[in-house]
Amino acid sequence: MHVLVPIEILKGETVPASLFELLAPANVTVLGYHVLPEQTPPDQARQQFEERAVDALADVAAGYDGEGTVWTRLVFTHDEHQTIGRVADEIDADAFVVPGAIAELDSLLVPLTGDVAVDNVLEFVEALVADRDVSVTLFLASEDTPEARELLERAATRLREAGIDAATRLVTARPFAGLLAAVPGHDAVVMGEAAPSLRSVLLGEEAERVAAASVGPVVVVRRPDDDGGILKRLGRAVEDAVDDVVEGAGEGKGDAAGEGTDSTRK
Amino acid sequence: MSDAPGGANVEGDRPVVETVVETDDATVTENAELERTLGLSGGLAIGIGTMIGAGIFVFPGLAAGRAGPAAALSFAIGGLVALLVALPASELATAMPKSGGGYYFISRGLGALAGAVVGLSLWFGLVFATAFYLVGFGYYAVDALTEVGVAVGAGWVIPLALVFGAGFTVLNVTGTENAAKLQNGIVALLLSILAVFLGFGILDALGIVGEPDAPETFAPFGYAPVFSVAALVFTSYLGFAQVATVAGEMQDPGRNLPLAMVGSVLIVGVLYVVTIFVATSAFGADRLAELGETAMVEVGREFLGPVGAFAIILGGLLATMSSANASILSTSRAIYAVSKDAILPREASRINLKYGTPHVALGMAGGPILLLTATGRVELLAEVASFLHLIMYGLICVALIALRRDEPEWYDPAFRVPLYPVVPILGAISSFGLILFMDLLSQLVGLAVMLGTAVWYLYYARDVRLKGAL
Repeated sequence: MHVLVPIEILKGETVPASLFELLAPANVTVLGYHVLPEQTPPDQARQQFEERAVDALADVAAGYDGEGTVWTRLVFTHDEHQTIGRVADEIDADAFVVPGAIAELDSLLVPLTGDVAVDNVLEFVEALVADRDVSVTLFLASEDTPEARELLERAATRLREAGIDAATRLVTARPFAGLLAAVPGHDAVVMGEAAPSLRSVLLGEEAERVAAASVGPVVVVRRPDDDGGILKRLGRAVEDAVDDVVEGAGEGKGDAAGEGTDSTRK
Repeated sequence: MSDAPGGANVEGDRPVVETVVETDDATVTENAELERTLGLSGGLAIGIGTMIGAGIFVFPGLAAGRAGPAAALSFAIGGLVALLVALPASELATAMPKSGGGYYFISRGLGALAGAVVGLSLWFGLVFATAFYLVGFGYYAVDALTEVGVAVGAGWVIPLALVFGAGFTVLNVTGTENAAKLQNGIVALLLSILAVFLGFGILDALGIVGEPDAPETFAPFGYAPVFSVAALVFTSYLGFAQVATVAGEMQDPGRNLPLAMVGSVLIVGVLYVVTIFVATSAFGADRLAELGETAMVEVGREFLGPVGAFAIILGGLLATMSSANASILSTSRAIYAVSKDAILPREASRINLKYGTPHVALGMAGGPILLLTATGRVELLAEVASFLHLIMYGLICVALIALRRDEPEWYDPAFRVPLYPVVPILGAISSFGLILFMDLLSQLVGLAVMLGTAVWYLYYARDVRLKGAL
C-alpha cells in the first residue's frame, strides 16, 4: 500500500504527526511542490529555493514513524494537479491525501456515493485500519431503496468479517451536503476517486471541497482502472490523431500504449 | 578554447552546469523535478500571439506604400526566411529543450562570446520589438477613442503606449493569475476575427461581392523595394523562436516544439499574405499608405461598415497587447538564461518572494522598453528588432551546422532538419542577407548594440566557457 501526500512545501504546509499515524501501515511518498506563476520558469525558482525546500521536505519526512518506508519528491511546477497526477502514476500510488490534522484517531467516514470503485475503497480501508481500534461509518447518499441498503450492508459485512467495527448511514439529502453533515464526529474521510465529470471540472475536485469544508484529512483512493475521465480520453484521442498525422509519432503512441497496459493492472 | 564548460565572471560566479534527465513530462535534476506544463496549443499561442500583432495590424499601410501590392510578396519572402530558420531552430530545441532558446543553442554550439552577444542582443532585440508593438498599440488606442467619440489626436499615441507598457510590466510582476490561459483565449478570438474579415475580403477581392476594384500594377516601384520591405516587415515574424525560450516547460518537447515553431510560422505567414492581398485590392497602395499604421481599420469599415472598423480596432488592440506582453515575458526568460550562465549578475534572475515572479528581469525589460517607446520611431524600432533577431537566426543555422559536423555525445535531437545542409545554409545566408536591405541607421544602431554586448562580455565574463556544455 502506497500513499501520496502532496504538500505545498514552501508555503509552510506540513504533514501533522496525527496524519502520519493514520497512514502508519502504508508506504508514504511526501510530494513537496511549489507552484509558480506563468512568468517564472520552474528552473529559475529551483535555483533560488531548492536548498530551502529540500531541507523542509526532509524535516517533514522525518516525522513518519510507520511500518513502511517514507520517500520524498520535490517538484517545481505551474500546475499542481498535473504534478500530483503524474507522480501518483509514477509511484503507482493507491491513494493520495489532502492533508489535515486529526485530534485522536477513532473513526473514519467512508462515503460510497456515486460512481466510485467500492471494492477498491473497502480493500484500502481494510489495509489502512488493519488491527487498530478504529470504527468506520459507511455513508451513502441515495434514495432509500433496497439496492442502496444492500450495497451498504454488503460493505459493512465485508469490513466486519475483517474485524473492523463498521456502521452504516443512509441519507436522502443531496450527496455533497449530506456528506458534509456527516463529517462531524469522524476524524478523517476516506473516499473513492470519482470519475472526472464536468461538475468536478467546474467546481474543483470533490476531495478538495470536502477537505476545505471539513478540517480533517481526506484520503482519496485512486480508481484501479485509471483511464481518466471523458475529457482526458477525448484529449488523448485528439493527441493520438495529431500524432498519426505527424511524422515521428512513435514516442507519443508508445505513451498511449503504455497507459493502456497500465490500466489492466490489478 | 577548451571544450569543458566552466570559468568564472569578474564576481567569481560560475555557470550553473549540471546533469539532468529529460522526460516528456518533467526535467529531473538531482534533488528536484521541473514539471513540463505547456502543451502544443500553449506553444502555438506563444508563437502566434507574439507574431500576429504587427504584420496584420500595423504594417499593411507602411508596406503597401513602399512596395505596392507586391508587399504581399515581401511578407511571403519574410515567411520563407522564417521557415528556413524555424526548421534548424526546431532541431536544436529538441536536442536542448531548455529555457533560453536561441541563446542556449548558440552558446553551446559556438561558444561563450557568440552566445553572450546573441543572448544580450536578444534581450535588446526583444526590448526594441516590444516598444514597437506598444507604439502600434498606442495608434489603435487613439483610434478606439476616436471611434467612441473622444477625439484626442495623434499626440496621445506615445503617452497611451507608455501607460500600457508600464501597466504590463507591473502586471507581470504582481499578477499571479493564469496569464497563459488568457493568452490562448486572446489568440483564439483574434484568429476568429481575422477568419471572418479575410474571408469577406477574399470574396470582395475576387469580385464576388461588392464593387469591382480598379486593377493596379503589382509592383509599381519595381522589385528592389520588395526586399527592403521584406526586411522591414520581418518584425512580424519575430516570435517563432520565442517558443524555444519556453522549451524547458513544453510537454513532449520532441514533438511539440517543432510543431509549434513551424506551425506558427506557416499560420501567420498565410494570414499576412492574404491580409495584404485583401487590403491592397480594397483600397490601392497609395490610399493605404496615407492611412498609415491603422489603415486596416478603414479596410474593415469599407467591407463591413462600423462593425468592421470596430472589429479591426478590437483585434488591433488585442493583437498588439498580446505581442507586447508575450515579448516582455520572453525578455525575462532571455535575461534569466544568460544570468544562469554567469554572463549577467546572478541578481538579474532573483525571484520576488511575495509574488514568485522574476521582478528584476521584468524591470530590466520594462525600463528600456519605456525609453524606446518614448521615441515613437515605429520603423526604426521594427528594423533594429529585426536586425538583432536576424543575427541570432543566422547564428542558429551556423550553430546547427557546427554541431552536426562534429556531433557531441549528448546531441540527440528528436527532430532533424530535412534537406540538411541546404536548409540551414540558406537560412543563414537569407537571415544575414535580409539585414543588408535595412536602413543604414537601423544597421548602425543594431551594430552598436552588438558591439556593446561584446564589450560587456570581454569586461565581465571573459573567462566563462560554455561551448559543448549541455
